[in-house]
Amino acid sequence: MTSSIAPGASPAISQQFLTFSLASELFAIPIEHIREIIEFGGLTQIPLMPVFLRGVINLRGAVVPVVDLAARFGRAATEVGRRTCVVILEVTQDERVLPLGVLVDAVNEVITVEADQIEPTPEFGARLRAEFILGMLRLSERFVIALDIQKVLSVEEMTQLAVTEELEPELAATLAVTDQGF
Amino acid sequence: MDMDMARDALVQEARELLDAMEAALLQIEASGADSEAINAIFRAAHTIKGSAGLFAFNRIVSFTHIVESVLDRVRTGKLPIDAPMLSLLLNCGDYIAQLVDAIAARVEEVEPDPARRAELEEQLNQLLGEPAQTHAAPAPAPVASAIPAAQTSVVEDPVNSPYWHLSLRFLPDVLRMGLDPLSFLQYLGNVGTLLNLRTLPEGLPPLAQLDPEQAYLGFELDLQSEEDRAAIDGVFDFIRDDASIVILSPHAPMHEYRTLLALRPDPQMLAEVLAQGTLTADEAARALLPPEETVESVPVNAPVVMTETAAKAPAARQGEDKKGGYEQKFIKVEVSKLDLLIDLVGELVIAGAGASLIANRRKDSQFEEAVQSIAELVEHIRDAALNLRMVPIGEVFQRFPRVVRDISHELGKEIDLVVTGADTELDKSMVERLSDPLMHIVRNAMDHGIEATEARLAAGKPAAGTLRLNAFHESGSIVIEVSDDGRGLNKARILAKAIERGLVTAEQSLAEHEVFRLIFEAGFSTAEQVTNLSGRGVGMDVVKKNIESLRGEVEMLSTEGAGTTVRIRLPLTLAIIDGFQVMVNESIFVIPLDLVIECIDLAGLDGHHDIVKLRGEPLPFIRLRELFELPRLEHGRESLVVVQFGQQRAGLVVDRLLGEFQAVIKPLGELFSRIKSISGSTILGDGKVALILDVANLVHQAVQQQAAPQNSKAAGSLASPQKSNG
Repeated sequence: MTSSIAPGASPAISQQFLTFSLASELFAIPIEHIREIIEFGGLTQIPLMPVFLRGVINLRGAVVPVVDLAARFGRAATEVGRRTCVVILEVTQDERVLPLGVLVDAVNEVITVEADQIEPTPEFGARLRAEFILGMLRLSERFVIALDIQKVLSVEEMTQLAVTEELEPELAATLAVTDQGF
Repeated sequence: MDMDMARDALVQEARELLDAMEAALLQIEASGADSEAINAIFRAAHTIKGSAGLFAFNRIVSFTHIVESVLDRVRTGKLPIDAPMLSLLLNCGDYIAQLVDAIAARVEEVEPDPARRAELEEQLNQLLGEPAQTHAAPAPAPVASAIPAAQTSVVEDPVNSPYWHLSLRFLPDVLRMGLDPLSFLQYLGNVGTLLNLRTLPEGLPPLAQLDPEQAYLGFELDLQSEEDRAAIDGVFDFIRDDASIVILSPHAPMHEYRTLLALRPDPQMLAEVLAQGTLTADEAARALLPPEETVESVPVNAPVVMTETAAKAPAARQGEDKKGGYEQKFIKVEVSKLDLLIDLVGELVIAGAGASLIANRRKDSQFEEAVQSIAELVEHIRDAALNLRMVPIGEVFQRFPRVVRDISHELGKEIDLVVTGADTELDKSMVERLSDPLMHIVRNAMDHGIEATEARLAAGKPAAGTLRLNAFHESGSIVIEVSDDGRGLNKARILAKAIERGLVTAEQSLAEHEVFRLIFEAGFSTAEQVTNLSGRGVGMDVVKKNIESLRGEVEMLSTEGAGTTVRIRLPLTLAIIDGFQVMVNESIFVIPLDLVIECIDLAGLDGHHDIVKLRGEPLPFIRLRELFELPRLEHGRESLVVVQFGQQRAGLVVDRLLGEFQAVIKPLGELFSRIKSISGSTILGDGKVALILDVANLVHQAVQQQAAPQNSKAAGSLASPQKSNG
């Protein structure tokens, strides 16, 4: 299920990641999960949903949910700006591959990382649930968190959260106020 | 021909024939023996055997053969068609179905249930009064054994031709039955090389009377083949009953040709045709003359085939004329092709909406007109395309006569099944998913609903219970009802059980329909005795879930002592609907147009406590803004959209009415499955996504509010039923 980064495994294998920013922080996603990247062009909110479920977009005739990654990590919801993008990922759910969009502040570049540049998940200090982290990419001047997309975008867990938050109208109200995408 | 395709076709055909066979058997059981029904059963078995033989599926051939032998005796009145016989034949049909399943699963080499087969064969053979082997192979098989034909007819010289000769004449209406003579000729190419193919226009009427749907042409041809007679004969298995087919072997004796000429209406002409290739001129001339020497034995090969054909044709005809006319109306199309078409039409609808949006903005009247006429056509295409997927609900209902028969036997109850509205149409994809829930409801009704005979008599009811299946259309929905005249639901018992299970508390006072609704709660089962059939505690909740996944709903109506009705209401289609767009703030919502009754300016009405008076009648309503917790913006007046679901009406308060449009339904997926008020989404002409309201749910919420008045604030914030559901 989870993509295979085995820290310290055979050094010959290199992997490609897409890096992107949420607020000022850099993150990476293994490139094989990414279907495409589109410019943010507005979305349709679904009422009464938790903040991180921003809504749905029309991707060439298919209705695709969009998750606000920052909000999913418990941070302030992403504010739509000039460089805001939706990265369309493929998530496996019950053996079916579903397209799912994530809202990010900006996409940066595709990087190639050698296996020995990948460090195991730190015990603390990442301000992120450990299970969301696939590994730490050691780039020349900084560390970048590589995300475990299957965990971050677990449909099962997000559906559960949608129920819990449905009982807290204040949170849902936040959604309505902050999100006027188009 | 692709063998896999042919095999799939065989499986499908066999299943249809088995269904027909079962229906005919049940009909005999219900209304007595009837020669047409018996013929239909015989024909089904015979055709299955023939088709299976074509593929050398020997397990099915040998089994069906014995069944056919018994049926033949039934048909000729030598064996009675009584209750044990019907049961045996039904069981045999089931076993043939198992064999067909094995073919479908590509495991036809394995006997699915040898013990069962032996048991059935024993019973069949008892009826035949002889062991199976002695009665082997009467019908199409004998030709195989008669290849050389030399022993019996040494009397005359064989002809010179080293090829098989085939003489084919078809009944005029074979085309209407979906059998194209040409395809048999083509298929014949698989067993050998066609030579000297001559077309005989002997049956052709004058041009003015020519009916293009009839087959008039006969064929004479030679075949160079290494195959044996059975293989060549097998080519015509599907059409044998509707044609006169004579197959003469290489170097066949002269008298066989003579017999052939005598069989055809114009021997002179045929002889001339044969002289052009098959026979030498001398042989042709001789064939026209009477036999030079007395032939003591009647020719063996060809006549066997011919007499069989001739004998069977009239018998089979009566039943088939009707059937033939019926069948030609259908073409079989793969479902995936239809789905693709519907997807494309969906895209077309969306693109069309986009075009008309641009046309409106341009204010170019010619352009607008053109777009308008395209839009009308698209609408027709949409309706026609969706209609392709509509099938009569009879497809589901037809399973039930057998189910009711078997279960009533098992329960020792006498139950009559009455089916009405079987031709009511609904989307094919729903038919498939409806089958299991209906089965469950029917079993429940028979098991728990209808009482045992003594109890019925004691209650002054007729001894036989009645189970009704009914279907009809009602305002954009299809309604399916399963009713029994049994003991009805016991409100007190349901309530006691629900309290015991902790579903409700003793203090809660519930209306009757609310009590009945408890039956659909997970893990609820009132059957004190767990039976084989139902009452395992999984049941009605699964039924409800299945129906809801089809955007439908299910309810119980019951009168204690008089019976219960389970009513299922489903949308007609799952793909495209006529939608009505409304706007709240900047959000657009879509309401299925079929459910919209009228739109009213709210300003004119007194709307204080979530209830307005509409023409003297109170109407509960919901403010979508409050329900969805959208911010309150300053705006002009609001409108009230009156919607109806089932028998209940409610109003939805919106900011603006945007009008009708065709909505291609796109499911929102599991992530949003918890929002009960929204059933799906659709893409608007400008490419934006709009949400489709779940009117059934909204109406329920509104009615519930009315029943249990709350202050308007609480009603707006996430009405309580959602919490209890989630």
